[in-house]
Amino acid sequence: MRRLVAVLVVLVAVAATGPTGYGQSRVTLQVAIAADVNVVEVHRNFLGVAFSKNHPTVGFNVVGTGTGEAASRAIYAKLKAQADAGRRNWDIDVALVSMRYAAQMARENLLHRFTSDLQFAPYVVGPDTVRAFGVDIKGYVVPMFRNQIAIAYNPHFVSKPPRTFAELETWVRANPRRFGYNGIRGGVSGIGFTMGWVFYKTGQYDLFVQGPYDKAHEGMIRSSVEQLREFNRNVTVTSGNAGTLDALNRGEIWMGAVWVDQLVAWKNEGRMNPEITPVLIGPGLPIYPLYLTVPREAANRDWAARYIDLVANPHIQAKVIVEQFGWYPGIDPNRVMPLVSDKAKALLFRGVTAEDLARYSRQMPLAEYYDFILLAYEEIVR
Amino acid sequence: MSAARPVEQVLWWLAAIPATMVIIVGFGLPLVQSLVASFTRDGVLTLANYELVYRLYRQDVVYTVMVAAAGLVLTFGIGIPLSGYLRLRHSQTAEFLLKVPLFVPFVVVGHAMRIFLAPRGTLPSLLHALGLVSPDTTLAISEGWIGLPIALAWKHLALVVLLLMGAFRGVGEEYLEAARGFGAGTFRQIWAVLVPMAAPSIGLAAVLSLTSMLASFSIPLMMTKGSGPQMLMIDLYHRYGLHGDFGTASAIGVVSYLLAAGAAYYYLKGVMRQ
Repeated sequence: MRRLVAVLVVLVAVAATGPTGYGQSRVTLQVAIAADVNVVEVHRNFLGVAFSKNHPTVGFNVVGTGTGEAASRAIYAKLKAQADAGRRNWDIDVALVSMRYAAQMARENLLHRFTSDLQFAPYVVGPDTVRAFGVDIKGYVVPMFRNQIAIAYNPHFVSKPPRTFAELETWVRANPRRFGYNGIRGGVSGIGFTMGWVFYKTGQYDLFVQGPYDKAHEGMIRSSVEQLREFNRNVTVTSGNAGTLDALNRGEIWMGAVWVDQLVAWKNEGRMNPEITPVLIGPGLPIYPLYLTVPREAANRDWAARYIDLVANPHIQAKVIVEQFGWYPGIDPNRVMPLVSDKAKALLFRGVTAEDLARYSRQMPLAEYYDFILLAYEEIVR
Repeated sequence: MSAARPVEQVLWWLAAIPATMVIIVGFGLPLVQSLVASFTRDGVLTLANYELVYRLYRQDVVYTVMVAAAGLVLTFGIGIPLSGYLRLRHSQTAEFLLKVPLFVPFVVVGHAMRIFLAPRGTLPSLLHALGLVSPDTTLAISEGWIGLPIALAWKHLALVVLLLMGAFRGVGEEYLEAARGFGAGTFRQIWAVLVPMAAPSIGLAAVLSLTSMLASFSIPLMMTKGSGPQMLMIDLYHRYGLHGDFGTASAIGVVSYLLAAGAAYYYLKGVMRQ
């Protein structure tokens, strides 16, 4: 009994001291990732290891909080609770969150403005690094990678893929239930498709993205969503992005709205019919970056910024983000793409060219419009 | 029995404190918090959350009750005759097989059933191979109405059989012998002897399964699509996770408590009467 107590005392003492017990300068960066396991693995096994090689005193604790918006929300809720409690030294140093929650956290003053100190700050470019959901986010975020929603099609069944939403509408009427997307409950690719649809039907992209919010436009949104209900009658609503890819793979649907990165990743892993090709259609579909952020009161803000600088390094972006994982670069593509192998370029831009991205990548609407569109969808389409 | 001494009584109270605190902190407090949140929006007392639940999810309330009820009927429709049969004719292998679903996690059941029942999944492919359906027929049993009760029944059958077997074993052999003496067959023995005598246990098993089915999350999440009616727990998750709308999520939660409490009420009423 006495021995057991002794062991317990020692264990508690070790746990309380932790790794910092080995030296004053040693730090553990707490990295919270609101994304799929593969993104968690990148930080744990590649980026964290690479960083620790040059900074041996820095260790990493990488935690994944799940997928979808709920994962980002979990990080937001934790930071908000620490802020409300008036706590200093919050326990997350680096948080990878979705566009929506990055915007919300910037608006609620939960983030640290850090990008100006970065070596690669000049490469953090693009409208989505300035504003998101109508919130000024400049300085608060570095996109780890960019993710584009596209229409993937099986050339075996579709000889001439649509180039616009109008062509897609015609095609769906002629090929009932052969087009699929995941509605709004199955993840952001379905939400993005819905937003793209509203932009197309209302023709008011600038208004919805730049604001200000005006209740007078709600009627216009509702009528576009009513048209979406009609469109959905000939559509297969899948269960999630993976569900759309599965249905495409099994040949149940011939075309579907998907994330380009997951399509490329599945093809790389041999889980996907290599013939399936993405295409971006006019007037455009949303791009949805995942942002690296530093919470306002992060205990190790300087180390966090230096770590994010590593992720923004064009060489890391080229080798890890683009070549290894098939994502679009998070920083200025002009700096990254020359460093990428031809093979990886071909895979990434098959179907969707860099010009398509420049022309048809759309932003998400203001938070108020976004919420209203989702509400209208739930009420009208179901 | 003599009354406990005062010191002993104090000790009993002290011993009960940790368990009571767990119930208060882990269950009572969140219950009160969610009740308050369901009537609050932006810090103001309101019925707006319930209005939204009514506007968006009233069909889902009906759907959830129907799916759970169908699952329950299926589970007991299979469970009662099966447990009765096993009580009368012992089979260790069958009993073991029946317990297997107990150890399969909900999410695995959801995934397996999704693959099994998908439009071109294992079951439709099998039916096609047997020449029973044409390859173009899409059997949409994985989606909602039919697939969900099947999956829920499969998962809950093990627990129900376990509970019923125990209850049926508690019924004295002499009653069954007497029934057999009057010429009762297997079905008659189950229906006229085992079921009435084990009624309280059947009621308990029914309430446990029904509340578990009402609260099922991972199986519907794996099996259903992003359109049409949906189980309430998915709505709750969706409201909170996607919209960050804790108020409406709480209101859905309260509706779920009421549904579950309704089932428990009928059970308790039955027990009291006895």
